Amino acid sequence: MDEKVPKSNIIETEIPMGTVHPAALEPYRVRLFVEDEIVQEAEITIGVNHRGIERIMEGLPVEKANALTEKICGICSNSHIWNSCRTAEMGLNIEIPERAEYIRVIMGELERLHSHFLYLAHGCEVLSHETFSMRVFYMREIVMELLAMIGGNRVQYGCSVLGGVRPRCDLDEAKLLRLKNDMDALEENLTGFVDRFMADSILLSRVTGIGVLPQKQAIKLAVTGPTLRATGVARDLRTTMFEYDNFDFNVITQPDGDVKSNLIMRALESFESIKIIRQAIANIPEGKVVNRDWEMFDTDIVQSYIEVPRGTLYHSYRLEGGRVRHSIIRTPSMANIGAMQYACIGDQITDAQLCIVQCDPCFTCTDRAIEIIRR
Amino acid sequence: MGIKSFSRARAIHVMLVYTGGCNGCDIEIVNSILSPRFDAEQYKVFLTWNPREADVLVVTGPVTHLNRKPLEAIYEAIPNPKLVVAAGSCALMGGVYKNCHGDIPSEEIEGPVENVIPVNAKIPGCAVRPQDVLAGVVSLLPTLLDAD
Ligand code: SF4
Repeated sequence: MDEKVPKSNIIETEIPMGTVHPAALEPYRVRLFVEDEIVQEAEITIGVNHRGIERIMEGLPVEKANALTEKICGICSNSHIWNSCRTAEMGLNIEIPERAEYIRVIMGELERLHSHFLYLAHGCEVLSHETFSMRVFYMREIVMELLAMIGGNRVQYGCSVLGGVRPRCDLDEAKLLRLKNDMDALEENLTGFVDRFMADSILLSRVTGIGVLPQKQAIKLAVTGPTLRATGVARDLRTTMFEYDNFDFNVITQPDGDVKSNLIMRALESFESIKIIRQAIANIPEGKVVNRDWEMFDTDIVQSYIEVPRGTLYHSYRLEGGRVRHSIIRTPSMANIGAMQYACIGDQITDAQLCIVQCDPCFTCTDRAIEIIRR
Repeated sequence: MGIKSFSRARAIHVMLVYTGGCNGCDIEIVNSILSPRFDAEQYKVFLTWNPREADVLVVTGPVTHLNRKPLEAIYEAIPNPKLVVAAGSCALMGGVYKNCHGDIPSEEIEGPVENVIPVNAKIPGCAVRPQDVLAGVVSLLPTLLDAD
């Protein structure tokens, strides 16, 4: 299937959902245009959460702005502060100690694990499979406790600072050992879950072929992250990031772009994350964790892209007298909204929520003013 | 204890409204009620998304401009007795979005929640810890059960 085309141009029945709706955790609005219970067109409207982060950032000292970016999203908070620090470090040519890079990678991967587990748990919940959902929530709790151990908080850890990581987040022998043991436990639990999931023919028949996003469309809509990889495109920015140079991992892809591919995609990627964390624990170099030896000067606009759990994150700003100017942030879900709308088309109205959840929505971070320039 | 309180004590329904925070608090609250580790459901506290069923309204986030009306409507729709819990520093004082003074202040924030609807209990933290959420909701139970 290359493209899904709506049956007719004029669709009479509209089913609106939102802004606050029982089925959706976050406030957003979906309008589903249906014919005989089949969704012909979907439209997602956001904007309720707009807080204007870039505007508040304007003129803040860069350290404070970094801490503010963390509050963009409660799921991938670490990715935002990481990328924001990375932007300033690239502009100011700050050298980061290797140990700090490793700790950042560990935090990034732990965050990927907890984001993917949240996705699996939420997905199973929407499928009304409570047992699976609880099982994944329980696994997620292991990761959350590791994050709390390293960063001191369960959600906003504030791990990265300019020039490295916060000394509080340094890993000693005991923490590394606990990390290692928990990775073993996690792998065992996850293997059990995946085996059980794949053996459940009822569940599989429920998710196969639902919410298909064809590869061609995914590329056209500029979808990023696991949602893109689940359509068969092996694109992962981690392969180009210098932080990941010393790590050996595979870029997972899945062929179909439906809910099944997406769920399996997240589960398999979690195994890769566990692999990366194990390598990091084994090879973590000695040394200091933060480089305080740098000078502030005015820079041009600096841009930085990293791969976060849900796709490509972009931060850019200019530094002027130590203050942030012209900040631009682009979060992965921004691009994936198109995928969510598209995935709903051609499916039953009861599956629409599943099709949206399939693309890993996070509307908090996505609510920012944008201007689309068509070329 | 009247028959109403008796039955209410066996099914306390918590409704979570999300008014523009960062998602961190929400997931922690859902986590503390649903997930098997903290599991408030064992104390007969349930999560609902239907205001007419709810007894306790948990509000997170700094109440953005567009969220004010829905929040008021939801508050109105909850039958008496109703209690409101504000969770997270965003809900308590507008959080980092209101109090981080750059060159241009944000004009989107209507919060804290107290400005919009009356608040009975406050849970501090950014993000709130599940233990604190449970403590906050539990501290309200006597008020709820003595209401009639
Ligand atoms: S209090 Fe903190 S964690 Fe909670 S919504 Fe606000 S910024 Fe997010």
